[in-house]
Amino acid sequence: MDSQIIEVLNVTRETAWLPWAVQYFFLIGLSYGSFMLTLPYFVFGRAQYEKLGRLALLGALACGLTAPVALLADLHGPGRFLNFYLHFQPQSWMSWGSFFIPVYLVGLLLYAWLALRGDFAVQGQGGDSLLTRLYRLAGRGGVAPRMAISAAALLTLVGAVLVALYTGMEVMVVHARPLWNTAFLPLQFAATAFAGAIGLALLFNRFVGDHDTQLEIGLNRLLVLALAVVLTLGGGWLFVSLSGVSPSHSAAFSQVAGMPQWQLTAVWAVLATILPMALAIWRPASSGLITGLIAVHSAWMMRWTIFIGGQSIPKTGAGLYDYHLPLGGDGLLGIVGTLGLWIALLVLMVDYLPWAGQAFASRNKKETNALATSAIAQH
Amino acid sequence: MIQSRRNFLRALPAITVGAALAPAPAIASAAGEEEGKHRWAMVVDVQKCIGCQACTVSCIMENAVPENSFRTIVSTYEVHEGKHTGTYMLPRLCNHCANPPCIPVCPVGATFQRKDGVVVVDGDRCVGCAYCVQACPYDARFINHETGKADKCTFCAHRVDAGLLPACVETCVGGARIFGDLNNPNSKVRHLVDQNKMKVLKPEMGTQPHVFYLGLDERFQGRVEGEGTLWQPSGHGA
Ligand code: SF4
Ligand code: SF4
Repeated sequence: MDSQIIEVLNVTRETAWLPWAVQYFFLIGLSYGSFMLTLPYFVFGRAQYEKLGRLALLGALACGLTAPVALLADLHGPGRFLNFYLHFQPQSWMSWGSFFIPVYLVGLLLYAWLALRGDFAVQGQGGDSLLTRLYRLAGRGGVAPRMAISAAALLTLVGAVLVALYTGMEVMVVHARPLWNTAFLPLQFAATAFAGAIGLALLFNRFVGDHDTQLEIGLNRLLVLALAVVLTLGGGWLFVSLSGVSPSHSAAFSQVAGMPQWQLTAVWAVLATILPMALAIWRPASSGLITGLIAVHSAWMMRWTIFIGGQSIPKTGAGLYDYHLPLGGDGLLGIVGTLGLWIALLVLMVDYLPWAGQAFASRNKKETNALATSAIAQH
Repeated sequence: MIQSRRNFLRALPAITVGAALAPAPAIASAAGEEEGKHRWAMVVDVQKCIGCQACTVSCIMENAVPENSFRTIVSTYEVHEGKHTGTYMLPRLCNHCANPPCIPVCPVGATFQRKDGVVVVDGDRCVGCAYCVQACPYDARFINHETGKADKCTFCAHRVDAGLLPACVETCVGGARIFGDLNNPNSKVRHLVDQNKMKVLKPEMGTQPHVFYLGLDERFQGRVEGEGTLWQPSGHGA
């Protein structure tokens, strides 16, 4: 018989993983993705990738240092975070994560320091200001041996792989949410993280570096590849969901397929992948600003959809829970706050870290000028 | 059904009096949670529920559940079938699953199952990561925004340990909620479970719920296909 059900009364469960979680997954993904982009220059010594390596290192650091702040803020009892280390739970991916994050971050800091040690030493030459002495201290020993850099890179790489693994698995194992409970998810997180990191490098090339056209072309090419992987994974998920080989995938699909807001999201996601791909192929030398922005945006949007969108699907009730972004710390303020922290860190590092080395002609000129001015001022 | 109704009526005075004065046979003594001694469970006789939400309110009062949060609620649906329109009531609460997916995910071991089957949260340890909230297939958990910790139905463990009934059972007007010890062959829940075809919510999840439903319509066993409710409590921390 034709029957229709209207839910009159039920509890609405609030989003429990807040926009902070989206920020964390986004930033940590960009960080490990960016870290990978530093390897060709710093570890494999490919001189033509120097600018990329240096810009990506900045990105890896800025994102990597902001991410844990967002993660901590997502705990409803952040003051109790020590419990993670007092009560290890081997069956919980999140528990493992609390050990993987420090491995990655300690590795990254060590690696960044070794990679830039020679530059610290250069920066520490002459002058006796506190800052110069600090540079000298950091640059003790001069250019680090390739072996040391490689060892630190290996540690960071292990950390990065573990972080990528746990962030994906942690969400994937949640059977209660069919949308999350898919083996595609960890791969999708990783692929979009790389695409986002390439996007970030494209933006840095414009705004932090010296707008190197060759680099823009190279990154755009890489972006096309990364986005192709993203698209393939998305297509794979759709195929498995539609083919009916996996009940959980089909359940996920049927939960969202009929909803207009989800249809819009799907169209949006496809466009935000295809458009930058087309642009990157069509205008590889000049589209970096737009392709970069869209790639970063997609990486964020994907996580927002998975987390916030996923939590708006009731597990037992009908329809969707309505999500309204709160303006306070649990919502907009959290997002703006992490962005602010990220920018502040970036500005500090751009100004005080010898991240650029001798690779950026225009920056070197600026810095020599600045050095000359300060020398004059000291006299 | 008739059987269970008669049982219920017969047991009613014992339970209510037992709750107030002395432990009824089906209810624990304060001995609590010795290994294998008790296995607390609930039977919800859906057809007896009149949707009055007395259980919802008494739970809030008993457990100081913050405004706009619920450990139990009676989901209410309007069902149109051809020319007929009816109301369907479904009391929901934590199922105190025998295979609870909320427990293994907890990164600090704050959520655990007592030996008597009751799933509880150790508030001192909980970091409020909400992983368990995600993992429960029944939306039975939430973050209590007054404490910043995971919150859920405890079967009123504090009352049960003292030989009382859970508050919702105590106040249930229609007698739809029946609570007791599955390990006790003489308990009402044991009889009901043995003598009826019980249903649980989302059996395909393999969680082995210990809240059993009598007379549950299949359309309400999993995620309900229908139009969503318009009413929403105000947001987190509001
Ligand atoms: S109903 Fe949810 S919260 Fe309760 S025991 Fe089962 S999985 Fe855990
Ligand atoms: S919210 Fe508390 S009980 Fe739930 S998983 Fe996190 S620490 Fe464990």
